[in-house]
Amino acid sequence: MKILVGYKRVVDYNVRVQVKPDGSGVATDGVKLSANPFDDIALEEALRLREKGVAEEVVIVGIGPADLTAHLRNGLAMGANRAIHVTTDGAPQPLTAARTFLKLIEKESPDLVILGKQAIDDDANQTGQMLAALWGRPQATFASELAIADGKATVTREVDAGLETIEAELPAVITTDLRLNEPRFIKLPDIMKAKSKPIDVIEFDSLGVDSGDHLKTANYAPPPKRSKGEMVEDAAGLVAALKQKGLL
Amino acid sequence: MSDVLASLRHLLPSERVLTEPSDLEHYGRDWTRQYPPAPLAVALPESVEEVQALVRWAVEQNVALVPSGGRTGLSGGAVAMHGEVVVSMQRMHRILDFDPIDRTLTVEAGVITETLQQAAREKGLYYPVDFGSRGSSQIGGNIATNAGGIKVIRYGLTRDWLAGVKVVTGTGEVLECNRGLVKNATGYDLRHLFAGSEGTLGLIVEATMRLTDPPRAPQVMVMAVPDMDSLMQAFAMFRARLPLTAFEFFTDKALAHVLAHGGKRPFDSEAPYYVLVEYETPDEATSEAALAAFEHGAEQGWLIDGVMAQSETQAAELWHLREGITESLASRTPYKNDVSVRVSRVPAFLADMQALFAREYPDFEVVWYGHIGDGNLHISVLRPEAMAMQDFVTECGRVTGMLCEVLQRHGGSISAEHGVGLLKKPYLDTIRTPAEIELMRQMKRVFDPHGILNPGKLFDS
Ligand SMILES: Cc1cc2nc3c(=O)[nH]c(=O)nc-3n(C[C@H](O)[C@H](O)[C@H](O)COP(=O)(O)OP(=O)(O)OC[C@H]3O[C@@H](n4cnc5c(N)ncnc54)[C@H](O)[C@@H]3O)c2cc1C
Repeated sequence: MKILVGYKRVVDYNVRVQVKPDGSGVATDGVKLSANPFDDIALEEALRLREKGVAEEVVIVGIGPADLTAHLRNGLAMGANRAIHVTTDGAPQPLTAARTFLKLIEKESPDLVILGKQAIDDDANQTGQMLAALWGRPQATFASELAIADGKATVTREVDAGLETIEAELPAVITTDLRLNEPRFIKLPDIMKAKSKPIDVIEFDSLGVDSGDHLKTANYAPPPKRSKGEMVEDAAGLVAALKQKGLL
Repeated sequence: MSDVLASLRHLLPSERVLTEPSDLEHYGRDWTRQYPPAPLAVALPESVEEVQALVRWAVEQNVALVPSGGRTGLSGGAVAMHGEVVVSMQRMHRILDFDPIDRTLTVEAGVITETLQQAAREKGLYYPVDFGSRGSSQIGGNIATNAGGIKVIRYGLTRDWLAGVKVVTGTGEVLECNRGLVKNATGYDLRHLFAGSEGTLGLIVEATMRLTDPPRAPQVMVMAVPDMDSLMQAFAMFRARLPLTAFEFFTDKALAHVLAHGGKRPFDSEAPYYVLVEYETPDEATSEAALAAFEHGAEQGWLIDGVMAQSETQAAELWHLREGITESLASRTPYKNDVSVRVSRVPAFLADMQALFAREYPDFEVVWYGHIGDGNLHISVLRPEAMAMQDFVTECGRVTGMLCEVLQRHGGSISAEHGVGLLKKPYLDTIRTPAEIELMRQMKRVFDPHGILNPGKLFDS
């Protein structure tokens, strides 16, 4: 069985992002970039399936500029067999990403595609769903547990009402939630070994994907500053302050 | 006694004089747990003037004061067990001034260490003294213990960042030492007397701390090491090849405790020792150099296995393996040693120390870890469940006496960074000469002629 895993690079979860002064985006110069946490979970799950003997090959996919190589090497060091790097100028929008994946699926014929439920940069939560629709295959999103047997994926999903368990015929698209697993650390000896693992570089333009921008970003703005707490002397003071603000 | 309390209540508003038993217990002790707390009261001053008034009052009433920070100290320096008045600095927590040209922050003594670090970061700068208790310890306590921590190898101790300090002495006088100057060649630098003074010379009320540039893209690795010699070889190699910001070590026993408290295992390989290396990666070449260093160490047999953090989250998880040790052991109320020798003497000292512990502590679990890059080892001895606390402390005290002899032979110290307080007081004279201790006593008399400031700590006057 072959598994395709989406492996996106984003601003590190712990970085406090700064909006560019002109509101055109988020500053990324000199900012720590890391794998999208949900993609690390996706890769971890794929590696576990391979370690269990369920899968033979795990292929990670990155879509982005030339300097994505170092990031893909990390995924290879974590354990992926090989990587595909689709080179673009910037980060693609969800529909473009889904269409790109579809092209790669046609080439690779995977039995399973595991993506993060969302990337923490745009939080779109769309690519997996769009890909399943374009591909005409089942989707199981927000997976917190995954088992594969007899050509079927049994997936426990985190939904508002609790946990839901569904079955999906393979091939299928699965998107990961936070509790699916805890990704491993990358071992230093594996970083060396990853240097000789293959990365296929494919020019985005050569795939024939319609890259029309479907979403237009109007503006970015930082969240409003929280105003400082006020200390009041006693309960009467609290009541007075609430009244003054029209809350009582 | 109630007269004394009544006069204290005249000094401060009643809500800032605490006498509830739970408060007396809470404020009467630090992270050591073997000293039963019994202060008379807890005072919470809010200004320099109130601190002065408290000191004058204490002189008049002949009451001892215990300066109190975050009480994360590990030597009983902030313990009050003889009817003292605890002077907690927790209400003096204002950040007073930031100077972008001097690159300094001036703060009240009760500012939490982590708050100071964050304030520096918000200005694009960095306050580099850092350790596990950062979220509770105060800058005043850090100065009073000359705290070290996990970045000493690169940035030094609290003393090295102290640009100025304002104190109230034992007569109620205010001293402003050094006032933030970089250069000031006008005689004795009194500022440095307060670094490591453990509350015995004055109450620190304000401090001006120097800041520096943040480290460039820090990277964290944790590696497994087969023996202590390999560890020292690996240390020499990494220090020669990388801009290190930390080099910390811990044993398999220490790791086991952290893992039992929710830590994340770094890799499956098992080894008796582990190191955490943090270094800056200003460029691609340094990242390559780090990998090459690991490769070389592995070829030499110094390093068995290792991992590298791929995100800030993983960096924090790896740091937790080292920083979580103290907390993972806390419920066992360990007896702690905090010793140092010159880095070059570490292997020889360790061999002797291991032999001593194997002989004297055959049945105790001994957990070691520490700032090996500074020649500083922390040793926590765990009490067997069946043993009474008092017997345990007596037994550990006996072995610590023998440890002092080993330290003397190797020119080391019985307190590297935790201070002397009550816990190390019996051993001070094994490290410092009678002449030195007598001079220290005389100095205390100059700053605190009435003997009201933390009496009985460090030495008996
Ligand atoms: C989990 C953990 C990890 C730690 N790691 C390290 C480490 O790596 N390196 C290290 O050096 N220490 C470490 N410590 C010890 C401790 O945190 C430091 O010694 C710290 O500097 C103590 O600060 P504090 O505010 O808690 O001081 P306290 O414990 O309140 O007091 C310590 C001493 O300073 C005096 N004092 C406090 N405030 C003042 C003041 N304003 N004026 C005059 N005297 C004052 C007290 O009287 C006492 O003698 C650790 C402790 C814990 C619990």
